Amino acid sequence: MKHLTEEELIGEAFGERRGKSEAANEQHLATCAECAQAYAALQNDLAEVAPVEPPARDANYGERVWQSLAPSLAVYRADKRRWLRTGLWKGLSYAAACALLVACAFYAGRQWEQRQPHITVVKSAPPEVKQHVVLVVLSDHLDRSERLLVELKHADAGSTEMVSPMRDEARSLLAANRECRQNAKQIDDPALATALEHLDRLLGELANQPEGLNTATILRLQDEMNADGLLFKVRVLRSRIPDQQTTGTNRSKGGTI
Amino acid sequence: MHCMGKNDHEAIRAVLGGDKEAFGALVMRHSHSLFRVAFRITGNEADAEDVVQEAFLRGYRKLESFESRSDFGTWIYRIAVHCALDRIKSSRANEASRLAEETDPELDDVQVADLAAGPDRLLLSGEIGALQQTAMQSLTPTERTAFVLRHMEDCSTEEIGAALGIAPNAAKQAVFRAVQKLRFRLATLRVKV
Repeated sequence: MKHLTEEELIGEAFGERRGKSEAANEQHLATCAECAQAYAALQNDLAEVAPVEPPARDANYGERVWQSLAPSLAVYRADKRRWLRTGLWKGLSYAAACALLVACAFYAGRQWEQRQPHITVVKSAPPEVKQHVVLVVLSDHLDRSERLLVELKHADAGSTEMVSPMRDEARSLLAANRECRQNAKQIDDPALATALEHLDRLLGELANQPEGLNTATILRLQDEMNADGLLFKVRVLRSRIPDQQTTGTNRSKGGTI
Repeated sequence: MHCMGKNDHEAIRAVLGGDKEAFGALVMRHSHSLFRVAFRITGNEADAEDVVQEAFLRGYRKLESFESRSDFGTWIYRIAVHCALDRIKSSRANEASRLAEETDPELDDVQVADLAAGPDRLLLSGEIGALQQTAMQSLTPTERTAFVLRHMEDCSTEEIGAALGIAPNAAKQAVFRAVQKLRFRLATLRVKV
């Protein structure tokens, strides 16, 4: 049989709660004479050291203590700084908590966003919009081309003042004319494509004369332009564009130019 | 350990707001319990009264650090236990120092401090509890305080640990050592008497 240790006996004497062991110890003390004797001896010893009863203090004891103490106590000032300090700390705490909350929300949002499958929506422009853009560009190109052709038609073959601006404009129009020709082929508009092809040839000659535009060249180009009726074609094509914009059709009525 | 009245909190707020007199209510309310524990630890009426005053003085000065969620009675009780412990520690140190200085000039020998009274004195004194007091003097200040709190003030191990600023297990060991020493001392004294 395992006897209780002195520490366990002291624990029992002071009624310390130890759960299961408490019940086991009590059972052991009830059955083990040796431990019961040791426990009784311990209780006798503890009883001998009885709680000391302090000398009685009268009802005015507290008052006397206070009277002797009061003179040495400094008055607490209703310190605004204390309130401010407390308030400041509280405010800072709230601000820090809010900042932390926002940071957490931001981080969580980022994480959530990264876990979502990337769906890149690249919407192509609707056909109507695309067509509208093409028509605007074409209209602008035909407008500029018409002005150039008018200048060329009325150019004084003997004067070279207008030569240089015409050449620069022709160079500028060449690139745009190629774009318009490609579009005309794509949309299957033979009248437009033919007119732009004639225009391309004329613009090329205007822009790329190696020795510059001389009187003979200007006269020749004027003749070609008149022979082809290029200026007229350009005007007709230009006049068709507003109709196409409103009707939404990109098809000409086929060879009506 | 103590019941906390609403009045304690109100009084503390008033004191911190500049009303010094409000502390008087706290002193009057808790003086008796502080005197009781101080007397049981120091074993001396004058020392106990000093401890009560010192505890309230310390409490007043630390009142700003008192947390409103706590029980003022428990808080000031712990301060009083600390003050009493400091008191008996310094008393022991002073006594030992005084006896150590009482040297025999011829033998140049130091008389060892014997704080326990002899059996003869016990028989002559006739004081009730003299045997107990003698046995209690064999304990260290911490053991004595822990034993008083456990055996006489009926504090739990956790409360003793909190009052002494030590872990509950250390408090339990202090009580255990105190009981062992007391029993040994009592047995010795009984034989001598």
